Amino acid sequence: MRLLRAELLKIRRRQATYVVLFVAVVLMVVIFLLTGSTLGGLAGAITFPAAYALIGEFVFSIGGLMAVVYAAAYVGSDWNWGVLRNVVARGESRTGYLLAKTLALIIVLGIAMLLLFALGIVMTYVTGVVYGIPVSNPLSGDGIADLAEWLIFGFPVLVQRAALGLMVAVVLRSQLAGAVVGIVLYVGEAIITTTLTFAAVASSFGGGFDPEGPILGFEPIGPEWFQFLPISIGGNVLSALPGGATAGASGGLEDLFLKPVPFELALPMVLVYLVVSIGIAVFALRRQEIV
Amino acid sequence: MTDAFPPPPVAAPPVIAAPPDAPLSAFAALSPADLAVATRGLVKSYGRHQALQGLDMSVPRGQVYGFLGPNGSGKTTALRLLTGLLRPSSGSIFLLGASYTWRDRERLFRVGSLIETPSFYPYLSGSENLIVLGASGPPTDPQRVNQVLEYVGMSGRARDAVQTYSLGMKQRLGIAAAMLSDPDLLLLDEPANGLDPGGMVAMRETLRYFTRELGKTVVISSHLLHEVEQLADVVGIIDRGRLIREGPLVQLLEDTGRVRVKVPVEQMAAAADILRRLAPDRPLYGIDAGDQAGWFTVYVNPTRGSEVNRSLAEAGIYASGLEPGSDLETLFLELTGSGSGEVDHSAARSSGSPEAPPA
Repeated sequence: MRLLRAELLKIRRRQATYVVLFVAVVLMVVIFLLTGSTLGGLAGAITFPAAYALIGEFVFSIGGLMAVVYAAAYVGSDWNWGVLRNVVARGESRTGYLLAKTLALIIVLGIAMLLLFALGIVMTYVTGVVYGIPVSNPLSGDGIADLAEWLIFGFPVLVQRAALGLMVAVVLRSQLAGAVVGIVLYVGEAIITTTLTFAAVASSFGGGFDPEGPILGFEPIGPEWFQFLPISIGGNVLSALPGGATAGASGGLEDLFLKPVPFELALPMVLVYLVVSIGIAVFALRRQEIV
Repeated sequence: MTDAFPPPPVAAPPVIAAPPDAPLSAFAALSPADLAVATRGLVKSYGRHQALQGLDMSVPRGQVYGFLGPNGSGKTTALRLLTGLLRPSSGSIFLLGASYTWRDRERLFRVGSLIETPSFYPYLSGSENLIVLGASGPPTDPQRVNQVLEYVGMSGRARDAVQTYSLGMKQRLGIAAAMLSDPDLLLLDEPANGLDPGGMVAMRETLRYFTRELGKTVVISSHLLHEVEQLADVVGIIDRGRLIREGPLVQLLEDTGRVRVKVPVEQMAAAADILRRLAPDRPLYGIDAGDQAGWFTVYVNPTRGSEVNRSLAEAGIYASGLEPGSDLETLFLELTGSGSGEVDHSAARSSGSPEAPPA
């Protein structure tokens, strides 16, 4: 518990925490205003409960990328500043130390998620007022249930993505390398997934024409193996949440051309990736020689 | 074009005055259980490079141990091994009387350390850094933070962010961090780095109090030989990953101490008889020709300079020059071959009547 308190103090006093949050807030404001000016009236994106999907997509997709970078910087800086040496030389358990850091990170991500969802709700109203879009009551109908689903099932996705950054930073012993490799993994997987989606779709055109199919009569295929990659699998969880598929929560073309991985399978897979990422980080730290 | 620099002076070959069959360590006979730190055959390899090649180090309890060696001799590697940062390739370590392996992390609860540069979170204040550090390892009384800050004279800047500290202030904070859990053993790697004279005096007094009043043990690795000479009770010198001499500082200095004395050339034979009696089992060198004619080198404790002079004067031989010599720096340079790593033990075996020093 004292380790956790110390980690929370470090996070609270760290400027990067507020910089990342500030960037997220600015991006969210911009995205809502842009959405309101272009799609709001037509697609109903700025109307509750659909607005929760827009908020969720931002928090868990763009926010997920920021979480990767923040987690890598937060954990990796212990190597860059040499402070890990002090902790290990005092006889602290490496496993306990890393788990305390991970728990502190999860708590902060939870707080950030709640703050951003609250800001999203406010921004929905602001955008509605600015562009004259009726936003409806956020608590009416399925509003509360939709919000709860996004928070409860989206959070593991956010944490799992942050854990990737954490794992890379620990294995590479560097905050910068962790952040860069985390971003490359994040973006790289999106590119790979999109490319493979095209390839899979192209190779399936011999399968005939279905007038009931959603895209020009094309029947979605899959699920494909690359939908189980660490970032994509989280996207499949988000797609299954209320309005998630419409909002393009998977982050690529998968929602259009591929059958989603069933939620019942995607969510456990996210948790497995989370545990494996933390496990690899712990294993690496326990083995490391600290110079 | 002419040479810009004169040719370097020719240095006399290193001389080890201790008996050649003397043990490398004065504590070799002690059991590791009786020592604060002991390593036996400690080896650490980085790929094909062996940083430590069977280090046998013995640190007596309740003393300040000066851990000396040229750059790259393996001092920091040894300290990293003692604090669990590195795993030994082979050999054994004993900490505070008991065997210690890489996994015995709780043994480190009684050890405080400052390894290499002091490392802190730059955005936290000095006291916050100690608070978060105190959350790891052994349970630490929160009051202890203010206490150790006071020890090292940092109370006035305790609330400022570490990124505003000078190197010397970070060093003080590093020493405070090492003492945070009231350890029985302090391992300090170059603790005087960046300290101003006042800081050095304060550190010296703190560490003396730590050992003499509290009975704790301090190991200091340093290249500031003068600082170590003033502080250490015991010295261990390593070179190329091996221990080359270890023992009480006073004894080591005495072993390599010397007095140079100049007498009239025509009285050299008589002077040699007198001087040989002052150190019968040690070498005696004299120069009977050239610019240095009349100079003797007598291997005795430099504090015996006046005794050398008086003995000669009583025989009617009046010295025209007297140079007491030897300090830790001389000892260090001789043992480590002035950086060449070569130590000439054969010179220790020569002794006798006035003769030219070995070429």
